[in-house]
Amino acid sequence: MEVSDRLLDRAMGIGARSVAVVGTGKNVGKTVVMRAIYRAALARGMKVGLTSIGRDGEANDFVDAFAKPRLRLAAGTLVAGALGALPRSPALEWCESTEIQSASGPIAIVRVRTESEIELVGAPTASGLRGSVAALFAHGAEFVAIDGAIDRIAALRGEDAVIVSCGAAGSTSVEAIAAEAGALVALLALPRHDDTSAALRIEGALTPMRAAELIARGERRPIVVRDATRVTLRGRALLGALDRLQIRVERPLRPVAVTVNSVGRAGSVEPKALLHAVRAAVSLPTFDLFAASAA
Amino acid sequence: MNAPEFLDRASAIAIGEEWLAASIAPCSAYGARDAQIRRRFLAGEEREANAQAARIARIAERFDLDAMEAVRATLARLPDIAPALARVDVGDSLEDAQALALLRFADGAIELQSRLAECRDLPDCAGESVDRVRALFERGRVGSHAFYLHDSFDDALRAERERFDEARARFESARGRLERNVAESLGRGARLDEEFIVMREALVAPLPPGVRVVREAPTYLLCEVDLDEETRVLLERREEAARRVALAEDRVRASLAERVSKLRDGLVRTMMHLGEIDAAIAAALWTRRFACRPAETSSEGGIEIVEGRWLPLQERLEIGGGAFVPSSLSWSGAAIVTGPNMGGKSVALRTVGFIALCASMGLPVPAQRARLALPPMIRWLGIGPDDESRGGLLSSFAGEAVRLRDAFAALAPRALLLVDEFARTTTPRESFAILVASLHAARERGAEVIAATHLAGVAAAAGARHFAVRGLRGIPTQSPGADIERLLAVLADCMDYRIEEVSEDRRESSDALALASLLGVDEEIVARARAIVKTIAE
Repeated sequence: MEVSDRLLDRAMGIGARSVAVVGTGKNVGKTVVMRAIYRAALARGMKVGLTSIGRDGEANDFVDAFAKPRLRLAAGTLVAGALGALPRSPALEWCESTEIQSASGPIAIVRVRTESEIELVGAPTASGLRGSVAALFAHGAEFVAIDGAIDRIAALRGEDAVIVSCGAAGSTSVEAIAAEAGALVALLALPRHDDTSAALRIEGALTPMRAAELIARGERRPIVVRDATRVTLRGRALLGALDRLQIRVERPLRPVAVTVNSVGRAGSVEPKALLHAVRAAVSLPTFDLFAASAA
Repeated sequence: MNAPEFLDRASAIAIGEEWLAASIAPCSAYGARDAQIRRRFLAGEEREANAQAARIARIAERFDLDAMEAVRATLARLPDIAPALARVDVGDSLEDAQALALLRFADGAIELQSRLAECRDLPDCAGESVDRVRALFERGRVGSHAFYLHDSFDDALRAERERFDEARARFESARGRLERNVAESLGRGARLDEEFIVMREALVAPLPPGVRVVREAPTYLLCEVDLDEETRVLLERREEAARRVALAEDRVRASLAERVSKLRDGLVRTMMHLGEIDAAIAAALWTRRFACRPAETSSEGGIEIVEGRWLPLQERLEIGGGAFVPSSLSWSGAAIVTGPNMGGKSVALRTVGFIALCASMGLPVPAQRARLALPPMIRWLGIGPDDESRGGLLSSFAGEAVRLRDAFAALAPRALLLVDEFARTTTPRESFAILVASLHAARERGAEVIAATHLAGVAAAAGARHFAVRGLRGIPTQSPGADIERLLAVLADCMDYRIEEVSEDRRESSDALALASLLGVDEEIVARARAIVKTIAE
C-alpha cells in the first residue's frame, strides 16, 4: 500500500470525514501531503472537497516567494476558495457564493469541470473555515482536506483528523525537528478533561508565566482549557509543562499521523534518521512521502 | 428656512425609533436600498400616509405570518445583481459568479411572483426581462442551484474544449508512460509525486532514463520525472489549447453580458419592485404580529388615541410573561399626565410619540384607534441621553433648558412635544412656572403638547386636559426582597396602570412613600417621612 493511502486510512480509520494538515512551520511539505491525500481519495472514487486556512496553494510562497508545490485538481473536485483567487479559465461550476469573507473576496464553492491548477485561498477565520467545510459537505463532498497555515490550529475541531507535517525547513538538526514535532503533537493530543474530577479551569490562555506559577506552587489538579489553541507554550517549554502539570482540554483534537520532509531550503537531513527520530518523539505513525517510507 | 429635523437623537431614543427600525428592517439588498430612499410623510401628505398604512394593513390581512416569513426567506436568499448590472453598464464582461447570481435572482423573482401574484397591493417582481434572463442562463444550470459556462452556449466553445480534451489526453498518456517507466525502474508504486527521493543505498544501477536530479545529498537524490522531447511538445499543445479555450469562454461571457445589458432597464425596475416588496412585507409582518391598525391622519388639530401601546415595552413584558396595559388619551393643544412613580406616565408619553412616528412612516399604529395630524417634528423634553454626552458641562436643568430653547426655535404648528417631568431638578415653584409657561407658549404656536408631572395644579394653570394613572391598588404584606425582577413583578401586580381623565381639583395620591417602602427603603425613614407629610398637611 502506498504512503498516501496509508495516510488517508489513518484519517478515515477514526471515522473523520475531514483531515487538516498542519505544519510545524512553513515549507515542511504540507501541500505535498494535501496532494497525496487528495489523490488517494480520488483513486478510491470519493468526491473530494478542498479548502485552506487563509492563503495556501499558490505557485510561489506568499511569505518567502519560493516556488511551491502545485495543486492540480481533477474534474469533480469541490473547492471552497476566495472569489478573487479562483481562475477565470477553464470555467468552473459555480455552486454558491457564501457570506464568508476573505482578503481576496467572499468564499465561493465551486466544482472543477476541467482538470486545472487552482490557488487555494480559504477563509482566514475559524468560523469561516467551519462554514466552508460545511458548505463543501452540503454540495456533495464525501471527504474534505484542509490545507493548514502556520500555527493556525485555532480553526481545527474534534471532527477533523489532523496530520502534522515537519521538516528541515527551519532547522537541519534531526533532534530539533523531532522535538518541535513532538511538542506540536503533544499540544494537539491534549486529552479531554474527565468532568468527574476537581479541576482548575482557565478561561483564557495558559501562558508560559501562568504555567510557571502553577508548577511553582505544585498544582496537582487537572488544568482545564477550552482547547489546545488556549495553550500558548511551545517547544520544550510545553513538553516541560506537560511533564509537571495535568493539562486537559474541553474540546480535544485528533492527530493521527506525522509526515517528515528531509529536504529543506536551508539544507537537508538524513531521511531515515529524521523519520525514526520523529517517530520516537511523537508516538504516532510517521511517513516520508518523498522517500515513500514509513515508521 | 430649512425644515426642522423630524426627530433628534434624544427623542428618537426616548420613543423607540431604533426598535421600530429594527422591527421593520428589510432582509434583502433591494429592501435595504429602498429603505435608504424612503422618507417620512409630513404635514400635507395625510392622504398618502393613510393610503400607505391602509395598503400595509391589507397585506398583513392577506397573508398569515408563515406566508410572510416564507416570502422573507426567499428575499433573503436573493443575490444582489447590482454589481453584475454595473459591469454590463460600462460594457464589461460578466464573471461566472455573476451569471450564477443572475440565474438565482431570476429564480427567486419568479418564485416570489407566484407567491404574491394575487396581492394587488404589491408590485410585480417578474416579467419579460426576468424571464429572458432566466432563459439566457438556463443552459448553464447545473442541478437546481449551480451554474457552468456550458458547451451548449456556443459551438466554437464546444469545439475548443474538445480540442483541449484531446491535447490533454495525449499529454497525460505520454507523461503517464514516462512515470510508469520510472516507477517500474525504481521499484515504486504506480504513483510518483512531482518530486521524489531515491536513497543512494537503494540504487544498484545508475538512475533510469527520464529522471532528472534536482538536488544531490550524501545519502539520497531528490528527483523529478524529466519530460522527453515528444512529451514537451504535447505539453505545449495542451497549453495552447487551454489558451484557446480561455479565449472562447471569454467570448461567450462577453456575448452574455451584451444581452444582459439590453435587459437592464427591466431588471432595474424589478430590483426596485423587490425593494418595495421587501419593505412592505417587513412592515406587514410587524403589523400583523403586533395587531396594528391604520391611524386616521388629517390636517386638523388634536390627538385621540384609544388603547395605545408602546411596543418596545410591550415586547419586553411579553417575553417576561407580563402584559402591557394600553392607554387612551384625547386632547387638543395641551394635556397633563399625573400619577405615581413607575405608574406609566412616561410610557404614556412614549406611546403617543411612537404612534405619531408610525403614522408619519405610513405604518399602521399600535392602537385600537388613533386620530392625529402628521407632525413636522417630534421632541422629547426631559432629562435625556444628550445631557450625559455634554461631559458634565451642564447641570440637568441647564441641559433641559437648552433642549427647550432648541425645540421652540424650530416649533411649527402640529409639532408634537412630549414633556417628561420637565425641570424636576429645580425648585418646585420655578419648575411649576416654567412648565405652565411652556405649555401656554407651545399651544399658542399650534403645537400639540403632553406633559407628565408630579406637580399639582399644572393642568388648571395651563388650561390643559388632565389625565392620571390610577396608581397603587395596595401594598403587599410581604416584602419581595432585593431582587429587582421580582420586585418589578410585585409592583406590576399592585399597580393599576390604567389612565383616565380626571377633574382639575383631583388630589394627587401619595404613592411615593408606599413605593419607597415596597422598594426596600429603610422603614424608619419611611415612617419619619409619613409623619412629616402628615404634619405639613395639618
